Amino acid sequence: MKLTDYGRFSDPALLILSSLAEGPKHGYAMMSDIETMTGIRLGPGTLYGALTRLEKAGLIQALPAESRRRPYRLTAEGITALREQLKLLQKIAATGLKWLPTE
Amino acid sequence: MNLRNWLVHLYPRAWRDRYGDEFEALLEECLHTPLDVLDIFLGALDAQLELSHESNWRLMNMNNKLRTTILIVFTAYIAFIIAGFSLVTFADDSPLVPLMQTNAALSAAWTTIEVGSVIALLAVVIGGAPLAWTIIRRALTSQRKDLRLLLVPLYAFLALMLYTAFMVAAAFEWIHIPGLQPVVQNGVMPLANRLFMTGEILVFILGAVASTFAVWKVVSRSEVGQETLPLPGKPTIRLYEFAFGPALVATCAMLVMFAATIVWGWLAFSARPDLFSGNMGPLMSSTRASFAFTLILMGLSSGAACFGLARGRSAQNHS
Repeated sequence: MKLTDYGRFSDPALLILSSLAEGPKHGYAMMSDIETMTGIRLGPGTLYGALTRLEKAGLIQALPAESRRRPYRLTAEGITALREQLKLLQKIAATGLKWLPTE
Repeated sequence: MNLRNWLVHLYPRAWRDRYGDEFEALLEECLHTPLDVLDIFLGALDAQLELSHESNWRLMNMNNKLRTTILIVFTAYIAFIIAGFSLVTFADDSPLVPLMQTNAALSAAWTTIEVGSVIALLAVVIGGAPLAWTIIRRALTSQRKDLRLLLVPLYAFLALMLYTAFMVAAAFEWIHIPGLQPVVQNGVMPLANRLFMTGEILVFILGAVASTFAVWKVVSRSEVGQETLPLPGKPTIRLYEFAFGPALVATCAMLVMFAATIVWGWLAFSARPDLFSGNMGPLMSSTRASFAFTLILMGLSSGAACFGLARGRSAQNHS
């Protein structure tokens, strides 16, 4: 499954996977991380909607809960999906920047 | 129910069983604005529309219900054992023992109770062993700290053994306890003996309750459910589905023992009504009250086990 298959959840999914690329994190840490990284604040419903789908697709994996917080980590499939998507975005960014008129 | 709890309850039950706890913990930290509430409304609507119809979610829901079924039957079994000990306390070494040797019907009822207890124990061991093994193995690999809770039954057993050893030592007068009489005479139990016996009953009951609570905690936190058990000549079966069979057998055994205890009590009362007006219960308590307590506890635990099984069967039918 590609990240683009997640519809309105594709952007949050990409942000979550990017955040988890740094290492296992629980929900609140992901929210803070994404806000620091991009300035986008994911709502709790959006975050868990995307987490549910990512876990179901096997791109992330839940780790044993620490108190009531449960950390998640990327699976091998998640790393592959994220890498593909980031490469595609990189290609789009490079092409877009190249085609843009110089300032 | 506070706002956070109410918002979590907007999600489907199967979703809550899996994510509810951690989602509520998240909301404690980040529920700040009405926009967050709106976002949760949309998330819950999405979950209701998308997830509750998917087969793997139904399967997860079924597993959760089966897990609760197994835990209810296990708890009912422990309560039944406590009732059984109460029964044995006043039947053991009483005039009912020689009576059972001459009264065939009374003896048959007692044998039924004994056979039922062996069948129930075997069913609990057969159903619980693969689950216990899988939960411990998974907990060890994921380094779950709450695995230590499984030491509670061991500690409870050791405490009971130590207390019993202490009682034996006191009975043989290897240790001296003021006021304690090694042999109780004329049906009058001194205060020291009564306190001593009360201690053992308390250690036993508290140990049973603590052990059941610990097992319940470990199993309900465990994510075991999708693991299968390879059975020779049969398709693989999930662990909780496998445990459902022995749970059914254990419940049937409890019901049979409950019925046999009623018959046994009725026969014993018909043959020797005078014995029931005495004090042969635990701590020389009233025989009638003790027998009534035994029957009530047996009835309640059998009923609870039946309720658990009906819940589990309903989950299987709707999956």
